Amino acid sequence: MEPILTLESIHTFIGQFHILEGVSITVPRDKITVLLGRNGAGKTTTLKSILGLTPPRLGKVVFDGMEVQGKRAYDIANFGIGYVPEHRAVFRNLSVMENLKIAEKKRGDLERKSDFIFSLFPDLKRLYKLPGNHLSGGQQQMLAVARALVADNKLLLIDEPSEGLAPILIEQMMVAIRELSKTTTILLVEQNFIMASQLGDFFYIIDDGKTVENGKMMDLVNNADLIKRYLGVSIGKVGGVQ
Amino acid sequence: MIQRFQFKRVLPSLIVVVIILGLGLASYRFMGQESFVRTALSGLTLGALYFMVAAGLTIIFGLMDVLNFAHGAMFMTGAYMGWQFYANPTFLFGILPLALAFVTGLATTSLWLPVVIKWQVPESWTKRINTTLIIVGLALVVVGFQKFDVLGLAETALVPVMHAGNPLAEASPQETLAVFWSRPVLLFLSGLLFAIAAARPGDKSQHVTNAKPTGAWIRVAGLVVVTAASVLLREPASIAVLKMNADIRFFLALIVGTGIGAGLGVLIEISLIRPLYARPFYIVLMTLGLGYVLRETVQLLWDPVAYAMERPPLFSQAGEAENIAAWFTGHNLTIDIVGVTFPSYRLFIIVLGGVMLLGLFLLMRYSRLGMIIRAGVQDRNMVEALGINVKAVFSVVFAIGVGLAALGGIGAAPFVPVQPNMGDVYQLQGFITVVIGGMGSYLGAGVGALLLGMARAFGDFLALKFSLSPAIAEASTVIVMIIVLLVRPAGLLGKKDE
Ligand SMILES: Nc1ncnc2c1ncn2[C@@H]1O[C@H](COP(=O)(O)OP(=O)(O)OP(=O)(O)O)[C@@H](O)[C@H]1O
Ligand SMILES: [Mg+2]
Repeated sequence: MEPILTLESIHTFIGQFHILEGVSITVPRDKITVLLGRNGAGKTTTLKSILGLTPPRLGKVVFDGMEVQGKRAYDIANFGIGYVPEHRAVFRNLSVMENLKIAEKKRGDLERKSDFIFSLFPDLKRLYKLPGNHLSGGQQQMLAVARALVADNKLLLIDEPSEGLAPILIEQMMVAIRELSKTTTILLVEQNFIMASQLGDFFYIIDDGKTVENGKMMDLVNNADLIKRYLGVSIGKVGGVQ
Repeated sequence: MIQRFQFKRVLPSLIVVVIILGLGLASYRFMGQESFVRTALSGLTLGALYFMVAAGLTIIFGLMDVLNFAHGAMFMTGAYMGWQFYANPTFLFGILPLALAFVTGLATTSLWLPVVIKWQVPESWTKRINTTLIIVGLALVVVGFQKFDVLGLAETALVPVMHAGNPLAEASPQETLAVFWSRPVLLFLSGLLFAIAAARPGDKSQHVTNAKPTGAWIRVAGLVVVTAASVLLREPASIAVLKMNADIRFFLALIVGTGIGAGLGVLIEISLIRPLYARPFYIVLMTLGLGYVLRETVQLLWDPVAYAMERPPLFSQAGEAENIAAWFTGHNLTIDIVGVTFPSYRLFIIVLGGVMLLGLFLLMRYSRLGMIIRAGVQDRNMVEALGINVKAVFSVVFAIGVGLAALGGIGAAPFVPVQPNMGDVYQLQGFITVVIGGMGSYLGAGVGALLLGMARAFGDFLALKFSLSPAIAEASTVIVMIIVLLVRPAGLLGKKDE
């Protein structure tokens, strides 16, 4: 089956800076692909380049059989991509309900999906009418993920969902993401290697704006050298993965 | 939906209200009831006018980071349009077919897209083709307006005598159809060329939706019919409007002027502001220049003199109503409000300001558009990433802002002289209002406008009472601004840079 998303050697500039210098990624359908790399490697920029928020200057982005590089961000999103940005960017002035409602791409999306969303994140039901800025960090992260689920998206781009979460919430987030992966494809950026290695089917490593390694997650877990070289995670920590 | 009461957010406004109440009480004892009520009502009227200008300014800035220095000129343009419609709509109905024809041409843009995208245009030619299309389009506009007696049309509003049978008998400079027909045709063609340019031949990055363009075809067909009707009905429509009940005509004028303002807003946003978003300072210069252009255009059409727009009969029957309830049957010129004689039309302005605030509140709180605006103020990229065309939202917001300014202008027209620079002072006070209320907050603009209106009215009173220089009264609003900014640099309800 053809992959849902392919990046062919994309180059992205932000202002003068050449941030991505050749990122090539293939995201197979119905699997979780994890994007790894040190801080500042270019993971977020890669997601933004896919969406056209920082359009790549060179290279191709093929989504669901269609070249989308250079198209407007809202068009690309409407082709069926959901985005969960880093730092839990929920809308602070909007209530939880409005934060979800605004993500509707068709009338009635939210009504159709609300049961599913509440089954993943039961807390949101209780918080439904609160403004976004009254939510705790963890609750905001749940909301940011939930927001990407309102429309029928074929691909979810999720940027560091575990960032700053307490261990118990990380657990809940992992359950939710695993549940999601049953129905959609996910491209996940995750610094928490334990979470990444448990969720991911495939991995890509970005270093200095270039994709340097990729393969099956299982192989990476067993390759302590690679992990240490690009991720700076010590072997002892990886040992914690069962 | 229902927001939880946020005490911290409303605290500054609460403090302001308490201070105002305290000052109010003090001045009540000092001034006596009569002058106090009169001055407070004047303050409310001024506040309402300031709000009408500030509301648009602040929502435009909040979402788009655009400081619109043409806002006062748009207020003024609204006043002229409303006055024209009320006094004699010959001018507007004479121009309408041309504007409609052009818009009809433009409306074909989405139909061109699938055609244009197939053209094989070498990269080096894309710019040249667009430039050529636009130049030829502009040339067609010029040809379309050749020997068109715009000034004659504009003068019709000044003809004092109107006959009941045919109100236009004294002055009717509309061209005959045999002469006129070529103009809308040329403007339609010009619109077509602009539409092709807007479809950007050679730009392969565009996305053509597979949906059948039936909607677009229906829209264009509808516009063609409306344009044709407007060509044929230039005189009958003017006569029908003039024969209408004057009160209804007045309220129609409010709607028409607002609509013209909103249309102008869309046009300006797309053609002048959109190319400049990357260079905010240029936008400031552009809007400043645009303000001059609007003022000069109006001056050219109606001469640099002041006109007084008649008050509609609803607010101009002789005598004084004993109270507001009595006015509803008497429609008197003035109303007795706790012993103070106050013009009924000024009360209408206060109500209009209140209605605007309420309307804005409902729009922002309960509509999808309001939701998108509130979200966009915080994070435009994220809104875009949800599949929402933020640029289109910008156009709508700009249209709403200019529409509000125009509505304010028409509301003010029967009360202040209609002249080319009538908007300048309101623009200045509008900006001060926005700064006081907090850039981007329309509720803040409401509080700020009230505060400024009162400051100005009571400043005037004091200046008169102690025979101080009127400059002090004029400075009163600036003094209020300085005090507010010292206490809260972001303004009363400002949160943009929290
Ligand atoms: N607006 C910008 N201007 C200049 N440089 C930028 C900008 N945004 C990002 N960068 C640079 O681009 C590089 C990649 O940033 P990016 O946010 O994609 O990294 P990341 O892999 O997501 O890092 P993190 O794990 O910290 O989130 C970094 O070196 C960053 O400094
Ligand atoms: Mg990042």
